[in-house]
Amino acid sequence: MTSKTQLTIRTEQDEKAVILCLVGRVDGTNASVLDEAVRDKIDAGQPALLFDFEDLEYISSAGLRVLLLAARRMQAAKGKTLFCGLSEQIAEVFRVSGFDHILPVFGTRSEALATV
Amino acid sequence: MGATRILMVDDEEDLELLVRQRFRRRIRKGEYEFLFAHNGKEALEALEENPDIRLVLSDINMPVMDGLTLLGQLEETKPDVKAVIISAYGDMDNIRTAMNRGAFDFVTKPVDFNDLQITIEKTLKHINALEQALKNRDRLVAIRRELDVAKQVQLSGVPAELPVGEAFGVHAIMNPAKEIGGDFYDFFELDEHRLGLVIADVSDKGVPAALFTMITRALLKSSSRRHDSPSRCLHEVNEFICQDNDACMFVTVFYGVLDLRDGSFRYSNGGHNPPRHLTADGAVSELPLTGDFALGIADGHDFGENAVTVVPGDALFLYTDGITEACNHQLDEYGEDRLDGVLGGDAPMGARELAESVVDSVERFADGATQFDDITCLSLRLRLLSGGAGTDGSQ
Repeated sequence: MTSKTQLTIRTEQDEKAVILCLVGRVDGTNASVLDEAVRDKIDAGQPALLFDFEDLEYISSAGLRVLLLAARRMQAAKGKTLFCGLSEQIAEVFRVSGFDHILPVFGTRSEALATV
Repeated sequence: MGATRILMVDDEEDLELLVRQRFRRRIRKGEYEFLFAHNGKEALEALEENPDIRLVLSDINMPVMDGLTLLGQLEETKPDVKAVIISAYGDMDNIRTAMNRGAFDFVTKPVDFNDLQITIEKTLKHINALEQALKNRDRLVAIRRELDVAKQVQLSGVPAELPVGEAFGVHAIMNPAKEIGGDFYDFFELDEHRLGLVIADVSDKGVPAALFTMITRALLKSSSRRHDSPSRCLHEVNEFICQDNDACMFVTVFYGVLDLRDGSFRYSNGGHNPPRHLTADGAVSELPLTGDFALGIADGHDFGENAVTVVPGDALFLYTDGITEACNHQLDEYGEDRLDGVLGGDAPMGARELAESVVDSVERFADGATQFDDITCLSLRLRLLSGGAGTDGSQ
């Protein structure tokens, strides 16, 4: 077995936001990869960051921390951080950890982008 | 950076003059500084006095102590000093012996100073690379030591011994993952009637997580002595850890207080997996969330609180996601259904056996696949209330 869990980050540029599609799993072994990718996007100066979790299978607390960091950084840069496409399992993780109180979660991309 | 000091060992006085002359530019620019010795013995003395010298250029045939003996001494006592041999072209046998005794390279006499210059640079490069490698190794050793300390911190983050009571049985298991994780549990007697149960999971791994774990545990323990209400305690801890939390570390914490007089269990859940309530009839239920979130995310939050009644024969099972998210080789998760399967029905009565049966089941499922997260659980079985009403038949 490899020591790093499989994660692919696909980036799409919308006129209102940069969309990060996470494919696979985020856990302690690859959270830093996600962190770096997110940092790059924020440093490039994006008005909004939309995480599309349509193809995300799993996220651990180390991954949630990266999302929280992203939201804080975007807030400091007067930008927005949005989430959409949560599977039932990931919605449950958001619900149990209380992240759904803190982070704006939407059903679909267009619902999320409509708020930017 | 200062000049690189090079020790030249030769009994011919002319060579000294020649070297000073040929390398005068580099000497003037402060790149090289030459020291001279006239035999092996003087060379060893010079190295003793100047421990920063890493490069020796040495002749072979010299009085008092020859170059080959010097090489033998260097190899034994100064392994980080590299030697380049300077000897007559026809002296191949001695040069071979010198190489076998650990000389790094050789140049022949009459000395071609261009070649000597290149050889010196090449050797210095090698020496620097070696030093860098040693530094890296030392740094690695230091990191390892730090990790050992962190592991100790993590293990000291849980009570060494759980209290034994007539009224209840309690047991906890923590199997840390290879990387230092941030799980912890706690169990304390607030007074003779009330027990505090804690389980928590920090969002990160490594040394920072271990320290965060320790701080959270200490804060919660101290808060629990001041406030009876679990939600009040979580509020207080949250306010504290939200200050200056630039690293965005957070911790999910479940804290409940069981009153042994009436079996009431009041709890507040800061974003942690809901613990299970096991009733004597074999049913398993989740302790409903209290609508709160992990500690360290946002300050100013008023935590909620719920209460359930635990009767003698019932058990409480607190766990971290290392259990439900344990994976087998196919990356299937253990999941809550399997957990509830083990906890339900005719699960063992003893608190220890109950916790062990869950961890055994997780290990069987993982079947040797890498454990990515700490596996931590705390089980408590209530035997009787302080009022005296016990269970019939159960221990």
